[in-house]
Amino acid sequence: MSVVEVLGVTKAYRDKVAVNNLSLSIEPGQMFGLLGPNGSGKTSSIRMMIGITFPDSGDIRLFDEPFSRKHLARVGYLPEERGLYKKMKVLDQLIFMGGLHGLSPEEAKKRAIAWAKKMDIAGSLLKKTEELSKGMQQKIQFIAALMHDPDLIIMDEPFSGLDPVNATLLQDTLLELKAQGKAILFSTHRMDQVEKLCDSIALIHQGNRVLSGKVREIKSRYKRDRVVMEFEGSAEFLNGAEIAEAKNYSGHAEIKLKEGGDAQKLLAEAASMATIYRFELVEPSLEEIFIQAVGGKADA
Amino acid sequence: MHNLLLVAKREYLEQVRGRAFRLTTVLVPALFAIIIGVGFLSGRSTGANKHLVVAAPDTVLANDIRDQLLADKSAKATVEVIAPAGGEDRDALVKRVSAKEIDGFLWIEQPAGKDPVATYESQSSGDFVTEAKLSSALNHSLIQGRLEQRGVKQSEADALLARIEIKTLQVNKEGKVVKSNAQTSFWKGYVMAILLSMTTMIYGMNVARSIIQEKTSRIFEVMLSTAKPSDLLAGKLIGVGAVGLTQIAIWVVAAVALLSTAFAAPLMSGDLAIHFSWVEGVLFPLYFVLGYLLYSSLFAGLAATCETEQELQMYTPLAAVPIWLSFSLIVLIINDSNSVWSIAASMFPPCAPIIMFLRMGSSMPQPWEFALSISLMIVSIIGVLWVSTKLYRVGILMYGKRATLPEMLRWLRYS
Repeated sequence: MSVVEVLGVTKAYRDKVAVNNLSLSIEPGQMFGLLGPNGSGKTSSIRMMIGITFPDSGDIRLFDEPFSRKHLARVGYLPEERGLYKKMKVLDQLIFMGGLHGLSPEEAKKRAIAWAKKMDIAGSLLKKTEELSKGMQQKIQFIAALMHDPDLIIMDEPFSGLDPVNATLLQDTLLELKAQGKAILFSTHRMDQVEKLCDSIALIHQGNRVLSGKVREIKSRYKRDRVVMEFEGSAEFLNGAEIAEAKNYSGHAEIKLKEGGDAQKLLAEAASMATIYRFELVEPSLEEIFIQAVGGKADA
Repeated sequence: MHNLLLVAKREYLEQVRGRAFRLTTVLVPALFAIIIGVGFLSGRSTGANKHLVVAAPDTVLANDIRDQLLADKSAKATVEVIAPAGGEDRDALVKRVSAKEIDGFLWIEQPAGKDPVATYESQSSGDFVTEAKLSSALNHSLIQGRLEQRGVKQSEADALLARIEIKTLQVNKEGKVVKSNAQTSFWKGYVMAILLSMTTMIYGMNVARSIIQEKTSRIFEVMLSTAKPSDLLAGKLIGVGAVGLTQIAIWVVAAVALLSTAFAAPLMSGDLAIHFSWVEGVLFPLYFVLGYLLYSSLFAGLAATCETEQELQMYTPLAAVPIWLSFSLIVLIINDSNSVWSIAASMFPPCAPIIMFLRMGSSMPQPWEFALSISLMIVSIIGVLWVSTKLYRVGILMYGKRATLPEMLRWLRYS
């Protein structure tokens, strides 16, 4: 069963194609990363998944059925453009948001209090939103998106603006929800975060999908052609025949091998000249893969 | 429907609990009381306590004018007489005026074989109340003098010139004759029209402001993931409209409570009687709701195209045009509230609520006129709401800059 399916969706605004023939599918219990630089079409794709805008062509399916507003009760959404009623008390705001998702005021209140304790903001429930810090406000929005126990959670740039402590708290919460079988889609332009969290990704650039699939499979498709070394002794081996490019920071070297370059030969050569403390054949990061995939034209 | 009611309830409770609601609920009637009070007091004190001099070649005429002026006890005037007056007296009087010893003097000359020529010289050139009193006194005395010259006895002349006050009565809907006053019933209609235009404007703008705030706080995106744009807009219009009706209800209850006290007894009886009928009681909230829906749906659409409240203010004069237009037709309506032009103006939807109440100040329009004006308003509300919902649907997600007219037209085609 697919929680969300995007089938050949295209959306254009005047002369700009925001999303071009995008397809993807997310299963229950899957954490899916929608990656791409700013303006690549991530938010436009998400808006179509939750019916804020509609595709010019292609189909959106939610919970194995054609898109319908009734499905939205099972979706939790945190938009990139955060928004709360500034003059409203936090608890009233959460009860209102819960009500829009079909919760009774009593149930919404109960859940809001439980979530506030979990997110460590229980003391702020009776304050007005404008009295809270940005980080606190962001936590309230997480609660608003999650308190109705949705089966599909969509978060647009969820970690932006969060300090490391709160980013870890959110990350742990998302992993917990994933373990409960929820499908989670989040978009980000920070590819390092996705590597740690997501099972599958879709990389989009200028509205086009340039890569998609399971993170491990994508990475395995790209050769390990980078070496990180820590050594003591002569650095003469850095001029060797296997190396395309090398940076040496006093005993810490970052090396890019030539096309077809042999890492084992490099190791043997280096060991003959210096004492090797670390020799690691590193797999390319998603960011590097992305730059390779778009031919070095990424503007991220 | 569930979300629509939730949005309406949130909007209502947030506004009713707000400080602005409490302030306007108290301040608007207080402001009206002050304006009416100041108008009443200034009306009473205008032309009072004046120190005047009547200078004439004829002592009898001068004394007559003085007696006429002193007959009005409320004026509390001090009147000196210089008669027969010569050229040097005039120079002295000018000096007294300039030294502010007197407020002014009436100088009467009697050219041989011609009508008298009168001049009023004073510190203030705009004192038309005193000028009117002097004119009335002078003409009264001259006519009395002329009648006596033609052999009419003084007592008969007095009887001929006695002022007769017009008592006005109004025939109400039930065909009963009630004590009324043309002026007070016109002012009642005028005050109700002002209240109506103020409340529709205030609450129409409230809807617009609320949309701009939601747009700048970026809350729409969360809301749109659960509710339809049409539900959000309808909920907002209903919620804010209910706030307006609550405020009007508070004013009506307070007014009824106040008018039932002994303090207000002179207003409910006697010459200044104000009569409110149940028709007015029904039409006021009805025209408020219609006027409010017309303005607020127009402004909701415009607000969705703006980024800030400052941008929205550019459109404020647009809202004021029907109000200016309505009040500029006041002379037309006073002259004949049932003329073709008055009726036509009261059918024009943006002006209908105000002009209907101005007309009701003079005489009650026919039921078909109400029915037609209300129907035309409903049709125009549906039209404006249709356009506004389309602008709103696209506009609330457009950030960055105010939409131009060609962009708005494109939005209408998109949605």
